[in-house]
Amino acid sequence: MSGWDVLLLYGHSWRKDYFRSLVNFNFFGSHAAVALRRTGELSILVAHPWDEAVLRKALDVNVRCAPEFESGLREWNSQFSNARVAIAGMELMEARFVDPQAVSATRSVETLRRIKTTEEIEILRQASLLADIGYQYFVDTIRVGMAEYELVAEVEGFLKERGAEDNFMLIGSGGTEVFGMRPPTARRFQAGDNVTTELSPQVNGYYAQICRTLVLGEPSENQTRSFSIFREAQQAAEDFLKPGVNIRDVARVQNDVFRREGYGEYTGSKYTRVRGHNLGLHPDENPYVLEDVDCVVDKGMVLIAHPNTYLPLSGYMVFGDTLVVTDGGCARLGQTEKKLFFKEA
Amino acid sequence: MKRGLITWDMTEIPPSVFEQRLEGVRRMMAERNVPALVVYSDLWRSNAARFLSNFMPYFNRAFLIVPSDRPVTLLCGLSPRVYGWIRSVTTIEDVRPAGNFSRPLFELAAERGWTRIGILDFPKFPWDLNRSLQSGPLEIITVGAVYDRALFIDDNELSIRRKAAHMAREILDAEIALGVGRTDYEFVGRLERRFRGGGAEDLITLLTNGAGAPATANGQRLEENYSASLALEYRGHWVRITRPHGVECSPEWLLADDASACVENLAGSYPYEYISRSALQTGSIFAVHVSRPASQNSGAKQVFYGDTCWYGSSGPEIL
Repeated sequence: MSGWDVLLLYGHSWRKDYFRSLVNFNFFGSHAAVALRRTGELSILVAHPWDEAVLRKALDVNVRCAPEFESGLREWNSQFSNARVAIAGMELMEARFVDPQAVSATRSVETLRRIKTTEEIEILRQASLLADIGYQYFVDTIRVGMAEYELVAEVEGFLKERGAEDNFMLIGSGGTEVFGMRPPTARRFQAGDNVTTELSPQVNGYYAQICRTLVLGEPSENQTRSFSIFREAQQAAEDFLKPGVNIRDVARVQNDVFRREGYGEYTGSKYTRVRGHNLGLHPDENPYVLEDVDCVVDKGMVLIAHPNTYLPLSGYMVFGDTLVVTDGGCARLGQTEKKLFFKEA
Repeated sequence: MKRGLITWDMTEIPPSVFEQRLEGVRRMMAERNVPALVVYSDLWRSNAARFLSNFMPYFNRAFLIVPSDRPVTLLCGLSPRVYGWIRSVTTIEDVRPAGNFSRPLFELAAERGWTRIGILDFPKFPWDLNRSLQSGPLEIITVGAVYDRALFIDDNELSIRRKAAHMAREILDAEIALGVGRTDYEFVGRLERRFRGGGAEDLITLLTNGAGAPATANGQRLEENYSASLALEYRGHWVRITRPHGVECSPEWLLADDASACVENLAGSYPYEYISRSALQTGSIFAVHVSRPASQNSGAKQVFYGDTCWYGSSGPEIL
């Protein structure tokens, strides 16, 4: 613990990941923190009495609830007086919660979390398989005339019925006027639409992700050509990814495919965000797969390579799979076919 | 996470409602002599920015900046590719990239000649943003704890919360009768379909068979007298409701001064926050949940019951 006496891992309702990296409990309240002492002793502070009740039954550790989290945290911290306290997730905390003497452990813990254990990879495999059947359900359910949010409601229901804790999902539909994905709107699907989606079911805390594009009707020549570029770019990342390579080159090999095809300008931030990212207890973990990110890939990293971007050929398109880095390369955790999906309109 | 229908239905919230809300905020700004007010927002802490502009992000962070003399500006962590979508579902026209938040804010302030700004609940800002703003050239005036005042609650707010609570009760009352024998996963899936299909943005469901407090689904089969507790977001308005299967409950249980009740603030910066009952005051929107023995012969088995309430001028009432 790099000179620290106490490591405190904090989570709030949006970012539970640092807390859950030590205590994998899906808390309901607004905040939770767990303190790990050098001795290995754990203690937990939560902000909702129902979380306290569940944790007390489940764990043989000291659990307290503080309705006023600021004062509760101060009182809780008093047991660590004179100790060197480091906080993972400190940047996310409300400023009033942070002891001025504490230091940030966010980067150190994030680096530790980057490499998954065998058990974590198995959970991510389950999440990937859930993403597979979730996408198949998406394909089976979509129809012309249905609203985007109605389809999303169906898919959410399907995933939750099968044990997903949560699911981060975006969608887009239409033609060359579509520049990205967002939450669902009331727009109704039309024949000829490109329908893009990113499904990220969460299983036991861990998110896997799949990105696919579906055409309602027979794909046009431009849609087919566009998809072939995305497929080749994603395959380039998959072929390249292995321990020792740099994440910036995982981005570069994808972007090079677009450049070669004359679409290099569509690999920049005007049209796209990232060419992939790490996955785990947060659906959008570092490192981001970008040409200006310097990070060496290690065995056990789980990430998605997705060259999602806008192309004038057919509008915004997405394609990506969850990959685990193995000894000599990488392996897909999901099994969904790598193709441009289409469905009779 | 928020992935339901995020929209602005102007028949529900006419533009004039937002104008009146901004007028109220600007009056408060004038009293404090600040030329602009900064409101923090993220996908979980969107109550205040939503109240003023209908902006509720599905991911990432944002600053809503309310100048005293011109329309609002949004510094947004989301990609510029979704700015069009943001404009389509909010009152906001001026959307700008947030970068590291502080630098664009300082640049905007310099451009407009602001040397001091008001920041809503500044000590509650994320630590990294709080620190970077403090290190800048602006004098910061903390405007705090306004949520509990009339400034952030009006008739329209109450009316949509009522609508959300009605939706929650109607669907949960119908579904709870059908849950026994299903797994909690299946029950949650049915609720997701109905609520999101009905236009809800977000739904969190907790369940218990009565041996402990409600918690997230874990694959257990639901038994007689199980309880379900929902947090529902509809049009950015959160409500809470808890119902047991097969047990008659009385709203009076929630309004009585029960020291063991679980009380949550629904009008703070978070969708729901556990608070002590003594923190309630006129104007509070809150939830109360109580537990009771499932029956005289049920041993330790408990049922849970709760609802969304409003502390009006004549006292607390179910919303």
